[in-house]
Amino acid sequence: MSPLVIALFLAASAPAAAVPSAAPAGAPGAAALLRDADRARGGLEQGVTWTLEVESTEEGVTRRRTFLVRARGVDALAEGVAPARTKGEVFLFNDRSLWFLKPGQRRPISISARQRLQGEASNGDVASTNYARDYQGRVVGEELVGDEPAWRMELQALRPDVSYDQIRYWVSKRRHLGLKAEFLTVSGECFKTATFDYANQVVVAGQEVPLVSRMTIRDAMGAGNVTVLRYREPRAERHAPSLFNINNVVR
Amino acid sequence: MTGAWRLAWRGLARNRRRNLTTGLAIAVGYAGLVVLGGYANRIEHLIRTSTVYLQHGGHLAIYREHGLGRASARPAAYALAPEEQRAIAAILAADPRVEFWGRYLQGSGLAGNGCTSRPFQALGVELAAERRILEHVQVKRWAPELGRPLAGLALPDVQGVEGAVALSAGLAAGLRKRPSAAAPAALAPPLDCGAPDADAQVAADSGLQLAGPTFDGSLSATDAQLVAIFRGATPEEDQSSLVAELATLQRLYDTDRVTSVAVYLRDAADAPAVARDLAGRLAAAGLRTSVYRYDDPAVNPYYVGTVGFVGALVGFIGLLVAVVATLSVLNAMTLAVIERTREVGTLRSIGFTRRQVLALFLREAAALAALGTLAGLALGLAAVVAVNRANVRFAAPGFADRIQLLLQPTATQCLAIAALILPLTLVATWIAVRRRLRTGVAELLTTSTA
Repeated sequence: MSPLVIALFLAASAPAAAVPSAAPAGAPGAAALLRDADRARGGLEQGVTWTLEVESTEEGVTRRRTFLVRARGVDALAEGVAPARTKGEVFLFNDRSLWFLKPGQRRPISISARQRLQGEASNGDVASTNYARDYQGRVVGEELVGDEPAWRMELQALRPDVSYDQIRYWVSKRRHLGLKAEFLTVSGECFKTATFDYANQVVVAGQEVPLVSRMTIRDAMGAGNVTVLRYREPRAERHAPSLFNINNVVR
Repeated sequence: MTGAWRLAWRGLARNRRRNLTTGLAIAVGYAGLVVLGGYANRIEHLIRTSTVYLQHGGHLAIYREHGLGRASARPAAYALAPEEQRAIAAILAADPRVEFWGRYLQGSGLAGNGCTSRPFQALGVELAAERRILEHVQVKRWAPELGRPLAGLALPDVQGVEGAVALSAGLAAGLRKRPSAAAPAALAPPLDCGAPDADAQVAADSGLQLAGPTFDGSLSATDAQLVAIFRGATPEEDQSSLVAELATLQRLYDTDRVTSVAVYLRDAADAPAVARDLAGRLAAAGLRTSVYRYDDPAVNPYYVGTVGFVGALVGFIGLLVAVVATLSVLNAMTLAVIERTREVGTLRSIGFTRRQVLALFLREAAALAALGTLAGLALGLAAVVAVNRANVRFAAPGFADRIQLLLQPTATQCLAIAALILPLTLVATWIAVRRRLRTGVAELLTTSTA
């Protein structure tokens, strides 16, 4: 569940509120930075479609799943494609609600942010994270991520029902793309890390927009547990809001 | 009756008021111990019955090695595979001390009503074993009110319902669902969860959805139907417990494994021996398993802790009661021997030895203790009957619902308490009398006791 949901959440990110702070000289506003970064993770207002391949390795066992993902703004609909036994399974992220539906099931089941802490490998913790909407951001410094200069941001939870109280987030200075995130527990310890690659591009309103191509999530407290999400064949598409209505999904 | 006993009875009759008071002290003390023992006996059996049968722990629980602590986090690695289940069943079937056994699957997940969902802790049960539990003589005797659902039908009584589940009262209330054995419509009407009548829409049918992680880590879901509501064993469990047929949970978690096998014995006293034998046979069969007894704090810390606490409490109060009764006897006998100093001197002067005089007083004390104990038994049993008939209900620690205050002393307890009272009375008498008997005959005859 969780890698997919992570992708859904990232795709559904919206601009964050900015916090007045003593930002480094020349630092852009936190809100603008997050808005740009969110856009490159799939938060396109008109819609985007891609194939998502999820590869999770936990305690030496690797599992693979493939989904067709359609996203629009803060909403996303992912349909299981492979393996065959998961075909037709649907995850719907509608605003702050996450729904899961298996073929033949009478009704979908809602999975709230806190409840995503349960189950698979706790990657669901990350899944419940929506940077822009649920966190207040501020730029606190400059660092290199790999070879790339980045603004270091600190995000503070705006809502009590999110899984992580704080997130450290590094955004490329030049490209305004999220490069790395650390998800912290209430005690300030790093619980998970995520890194992002942007080899994809989509054309929106005649402009090429970089789009995330790979996200790698590592358990900081579980050595060797890693989930890789690969975004294939992205294309900008208009999706009607009704596509993300749970009652329509059930029908 | 021998002459010595006649003398003893005569001595007792000499100061009736004091001896009546002393006898009453013994009687009240004995009655109090009978009542206390009845309470301890009831609580121990109630908790044991709940732990062993109603919570499906069994007298013995067989897990895969390290499965007790690790199966919830890594079920695929620490649950019992089908071939292990078959081997265990063959070993259990060969032991005549085993009454029956059941396979159980534990898991967690979410139960949804179409609008909202709640986390659950699930237990998958075999209906045949469940039926035997609900009809078991121990359950009917010690926990009849806990064995049946608060509403709806017990799982074994439900026929032909796919995905039948029972929810704890708190969980059912959170989902706003009511039980029904009637199958809901195959196609569920859409819900408007924001509508004012959303609760009514949700409650319109007993269908619900379960979601949980499969053994290989994927998310799975299945439809279910609420057929019963039960009271959770503890207030915490009452908020999140779900019981379903084993096959339903195995379908949800996409597995054919089980977490444990619970073994129910004909006689709980056999648990240590059967556990020892079973562990040896399982190891000899090449199975890497762990066998836990019901009184092992590793599996049942609540049972062990509560029974230990109640035992210590009752033991302490019982000790206080026994000390008070003993001091009462000591006091009475001290006064009696002082008052009867000249009588003691006379007996000594006509040839009674110190030992014979001491025996005389001990006989008096024994007679007094016997009478007091008999009266106490009658008093205690009357109190037991009165309390049980009064149907007093109270919130027992660890139970989600108020339970009836029942006192159920055993014959063994009554005999044991009597066996405690008698020697204490005799020791108190011996202490009171022996110093006076060391006094010389002449001094005894001339001592003023007015």
